[in-house]
Amino acid sequence: MSSALINAIKRLNISVLPQIRFCSSTANQSSAINVINNEFSVTKKEWKFPPSYTKPREVWIENLDTIEEKKVGLFELHPLVYAAAPRIDIIHKNVTWQKKYRWVSWAHTKTRAEVRGGGKKPWPQKGLGRARHGSIRSPLWRGGGVAHGPRSGKTHFYMLDIYSRLHGLTSTLSAKFAQDDLHVVRDLELPTDESEYLIELIEKRNWGPSVLLVDDTDYAPRNITVATDSLQYVNIMPVYGLNVYSMLKHDTLILTQAAAEKIEERILHHLNSTKVVSKFKLSQV
Amino acid sequence: MATVWRSQYAFARFFVGKTVRILNNASDLGARLKPESISIPLSRKYSNYAASPFVSKIQEQYEFEIVKNPPEWGYVERFLPLETVPQIKPKESYPSGWIAPKEEAKNLPYYIARNKNHQIPIYLEIGYRGQRKITKIKRIEGDIWLMNDLIKKYLKNKCNRYVETRVHEMGKFIDVKGDYVNILIDWAHAQGF
Repeated sequence: MSSALINAIKRLNISVLPQIRFCSSTANQSSAINVINNEFSVTKKEWKFPPSYTKPREVWIENLDTIEEKKVGLFELHPLVYAAAPRIDIIHKNVTWQKKYRWVSWAHTKTRAEVRGGGKKPWPQKGLGRARHGSIRSPLWRGGGVAHGPRSGKTHFYMLDIYSRLHGLTSTLSAKFAQDDLHVVRDLELPTDESEYLIELIEKRNWGPSVLLVDDTDYAPRNITVATDSLQYVNIMPVYGLNVYSMLKHDTLILTQAAAEKIEERILHHLNSTKVVSKFKLSQV
Repeated sequence: MATVWRSQYAFARFFVGKTVRILNNASDLGARLKPESISIPLSRKYSNYAASPFVSKIQEQYEFEIVKNPPEWGYVERFLPLETVPQIKPKESYPSGWIAPKEEAKNLPYYIARNKNHQIPIYLEIGYRGQRKITKIKRIEGDIWLMNDLIKKYLKNKCNRYVETRVHEMGKFIDVKGDYVNILIDWAHAQGF
């Protein structure tokens, strides 16, 4: 039994090690020793909708309580959510939608009725040899009103259908995961509330300039909220706020283990739901 | 509540002091009228809304208790729609003619995954007012190009004509020009998808 386990760990080690990014060779050795010596939990998952053909993806569970990266476990991700084909056209569709639905255009021009003056006929219709005009504020005139110009308060709101939204989320998560920009941490507990610690940690682990932390609760631990408060490039978000635009805006996406599971569960639920989602109407309550 | 009471006030005085039971759809919205709760002076002006009395005592008409998870709830749940199509129960044969996917198909280098209704995702797309028919095979996993070659070869043998296909690797689908839905569904069943 124990020999089988050791063999399994060795195989995992060999299969996964080339994917890991290390800053230096010394870090490489220490991490490898960590993995072999320390016990870590390999989580095999029982999904409600198990993957039919594609194999589950494995991801390390990392820690945040030391600057040095430690691997505290191995975790399985559903391939339908985290290993979908990254359709950049659908990602773009989502980003366009997210930019547009909140955009209200305040550009404004005056029509010929709103420009001051112009009530009198400038000259008689006939007999002067000049072109006929009825108002000096006609759109043909300099200083006249604008025909078909922008009118303020125009909303660009529309709703993308739920299948495109789901596909956008899976595409973006998969792209992040394939590019090694998605990391799973056990929790967001930090030993201190100093932002220098977090800056050093991000630098050391080669996480991108901007980092998005996602937890499944509304309230993040105090240390991390205080530490990220002054860092504009590190943001915390609950699971229900996760969106394509923010994932693309930040270079690295850090999910807690609970958040990764929750995202997976919700997306799988919607992918398999029989509920027919009707088209969004503006008049709906 | 007070607003409703006030508007019903003119009629409420007919019930005062009567022992007749108030029906479920009574106009007092479940508040039992009691003689002492309304005192009607003789010189009442019913047209004056501001002078009408406030409701003081409201008593529930029915007594009830709130129970969590009663055994009867199981009967209600039977009527609730299912959230997802249930998992496949393995049987010898299915009366509808539906064929279950086979386990050994997962050893092939390519795969067509069933959709959430456990159907094979092969559809006919009609465009240009019925002029263009395209058979679309969706949700293809694995080596899509190999599957494309095999489909082309199979359809050429089966229909004695060259068929044009289009592969979208990132979208995981193959378009076959022409209506080959039933032939391809039979082929997919034979492969075990």
